[in-house]
Amino acid sequence: MSNTTVKQKRPALKVAKSSKTLNVSSGVFRVNKSISKTINHSFSGKSFSSGGDSRVLDKSSAQTPKHTVQVFDEHGQDVAPRPLYNPDPGVLQPKQGKIFPAQDTSSWTTMTDFPSVAFQTTNASNTGPFTRSFFGSISASRTSQTLESVTDETKDLLVKQDLSNSLSDVQARREEVQEQVREDVLDSVVDCYLTETETIWLLDIPTVSVSEDSEDAEAVKERNNAYTELCKNRLGNDKYVERSMQTFNGAPKTKEVQCDSITMVDKAVMSTIWDMYDSFCNKSDVSGNTVVSDQGNKADVPDSSSMSKLDLNPKGPEQSKSMVSISSTVSGSSAQLEKMACVLLVEEEPDHELILQSDKFKQDLAVMERVILANIFQPKLAAYRQLPVIEDPDCVRMAMGSKNSPSPFLEHLWAFECGLTMGRNVSSMTWNKKNPDLLAVGYGQLDFKDQKSGLVCCWSLKNPTWPDRIFHCESGVTALDFSACNANQLAVGMYDGTIAIYNVQAAEQTPIIDSSDCSKMHTCPVWQLRWIDHESGLAGEDKGEILISVSADGRICKWVHYKCLECVDLMTLKTPDLATNHMKWNRTISALSPGLCFDFHSNDSNIYLAGTEDGYIHKCSYSYKEEYLETYIAHKGPVYKVTWSPFCPDVFLSCSSDWTIQLWRQDLQRPVLCFTSGQKAVFDIMWSPHCATVFGSVSEGKVEIWDLRISSLDPTIVSVTCPGVNPTGLLFTSETDCVLVGDSEGKVTVYKLRNLTDGGSTQVETLEDVIQSTLSSQH
Amino acid sequence: MAEVEDTLKRIQGYNGVIGSIVVNAEGIPIRTTLDNSTTVQYVGLLHQLTMKARSTIRDIDPQNDLTFLRIRSKKHEIMVAPDKEFLMIVIQSPTE
Repeated sequence: MSNTTVKQKRPALKVAKSSKTLNVSSGVFRVNKSISKTINHSFSGKSFSSGGDSRVLDKSSAQTPKHTVQVFDEHGQDVAPRPLYNPDPGVLQPKQGKIFPAQDTSSWTTMTDFPSVAFQTTNASNTGPFTRSFFGSISASRTSQTLESVTDETKDLLVKQDLSNSLSDVQARREEVQEQVREDVLDSVVDCYLTETETIWLLDIPTVSVSEDSEDAEAVKERNNAYTELCKNRLGNDKYVERSMQTFNGAPKTKEVQCDSITMVDKAVMSTIWDMYDSFCNKSDVSGNTVVSDQGNKADVPDSSSMSKLDLNPKGPEQSKSMVSISSTVSGSSAQLEKMACVLLVEEEPDHELILQSDKFKQDLAVMERVILANIFQPKLAAYRQLPVIEDPDCVRMAMGSKNSPSPFLEHLWAFECGLTMGRNVSSMTWNKKNPDLLAVGYGQLDFKDQKSGLVCCWSLKNPTWPDRIFHCESGVTALDFSACNANQLAVGMYDGTIAIYNVQAAEQTPIIDSSDCSKMHTCPVWQLRWIDHESGLAGEDKGEILISVSADGRICKWVHYKCLECVDLMTLKTPDLATNHMKWNRTISALSPGLCFDFHSNDSNIYLAGTEDGYIHKCSYSYKEEYLETYIAHKGPVYKVTWSPFCPDVFLSCSSDWTIQLWRQDLQRPVLCFTSGQKAVFDIMWSPHCATVFGSVSEGKVEIWDLRISSLDPTIVSVTCPGVNPTGLLFTSETDCVLVGDSEGKVTVYKLRNLTDGGSTQVETLEDVIQSTLSSQH
Repeated sequence: MAEVEDTLKRIQGYNGVIGSIVVNAEGIPIRTTLDNSTTVQYVGLLHQLTMKARSTIRDIDPQNDLTFLRIRSKKHEIMVAPDKEFLMIVIQSPTE
């Protein structure tokens, strides 16, 4: 418990503080406590200026009121709070003033400890030994003082008392005093004092007394005795030896070490899955002497293989040169790869033309074109493919006046046309058997005048603005058909009788084979071509696919492709002699009537129908070339088209330039139904591949769709074309409900059939019913 | 060669096509219908995007590769056909 000096003014401050606390706290006891605390805090420090302090002290002493504050209640009684501590008059109080200059720390501490002493004396019972020793020190200090001026002391005692009183005094006073004091204090130097903490008791076992009568008394006594014995024996005992140790502290010595600066290098490697895969795969190519100079494609090869491979691969000087240039770069990153590619490119001249002509570029260009067109034509194509047409949310679309009429109509989707085809007459159209998006259109004049060179265009649905393939032919194209076995083979029949087979996979202009060398080639326009799959061929017959053609020279020929096209006559279309009842051929004048069309039966490929310019329809057999099986006579003009119904095996349709379309049943000599609308020649007809009762027809200036469920007298849909433009061809789509119409201006327009009643099934029964009813009504 | 030129001309002439750019691997324009600054800007930005797209595709499956990239924005659609040797960019706005 070291007590250090405290500044003089400290007490004043403390007082001030205490006065503050006086306000706050309620009990007087607490006041004392706080005082002691504050005092203890200021227990620091070393120096003080005596002069100043004394001055302050004097001030403080002067400031402290010499009179006690008196508080009176309503009754006039003095209820001024009395101080807790009434100092014993016998005890000498140390003075402030006298003590200070002469004395050192101890006196001050006594002064300052005074309140704490006061505190402690009031609680003497609690800390017995503590206070006693303290008291002892105080008394000691006091005695060291003296009897010098007892009178002064008593005076000071009064002051002291006042001070003590002031401890419990009313706040107001103190405040004022405090204010003034504070002002002065602000200017003066403040010292801070460090104090030692209180002693911390680690082990405090108070003595325990045991009564002599208790049971443990004996044991305790024995222990006590043993202990005293031990203490006694301790002094001279060898068991206990005093020993002390000291470690020598080595003399420290500073030592300096210097080393080379450690250079730091940043290294980065990009490791992605594909990079590793590339390195791994290209590793196998490294040994295969890849030429590094090519466009940096394999530049990553030596790179990824890294330094270890350099010596493994015996490379040529030029390669090693490039390796050197590469070895300086960091391995594995594609950014590096790019850089290297650029580096290598700089060495060679960048060849823009090469790029433009590369196949990859052309391919990408084609894809890009299709993508752009898909964007443009998206709603149309969606309608074509029977997908829901979704409005483009970003583009402002005018509200198209959509026809919401309930009646069936043809909705115009788009038209295949380009500059090349403008002005040409569409003569034939056919779908590719394998790719339903590929359409082959043949352009050629059907009249003998105005003969121009022909054109075959392969259009893709994905690009309606430019055909994918263009084949120029010498003469007008009159017939087309795609092969079913080899979907890339397109047979083209021309106005001059030539038949050519093109391979549409390549863009070569020359056909695979041409029939111009064949001796038995057609001499007149080939009006129809068909690839027929002859699976059920008789023994000795060819199996597989055969090309059949009909031409205006009156022959139906079979073409076989060996080394060159070879032709075998299937049938010669002789004019039947009508004079006699049983058709007797006039052998002397064998006039062959030009054949215009034919159609093989879908189920039985032995039977086929042939239409001629005379207006006769002959049913023929593939294996029998001498005679017709049957002849159907009804048309008065050339029969342009004859087609079997895809659903009803007995029914076929024929159209002619006599303005009529006739529906036949193969067992009946007379047509079942006759359709007329308008007084124009009907150029083309086709059954709908979806519904048995629907077929379409094309005549001069009109496109008609007939639906026999609704009416057999009038067409269900009539679409009139622009004046001057004649539709010349009709084609149904097998997948969707669209119809293509080719016209004389080179346009192939795609229409969607709208509001055509969909019966669900193919309506075969309906057709049969219609036929039955018609037949029954006729009789 | 003429075919390629024809196709490029056709592409530029389609409805809604704002511009088309063909650049080589270094970024030097081979064919462009936009002005130089725009071309350079498009090429620089799309090149990086294409690299990132390709990296993504190949990270998922290294045997796969990027063949086409389409970016649809409010105002137009940018179509990029990337390749090792060249980069083809076409900008098209939606048709009305």
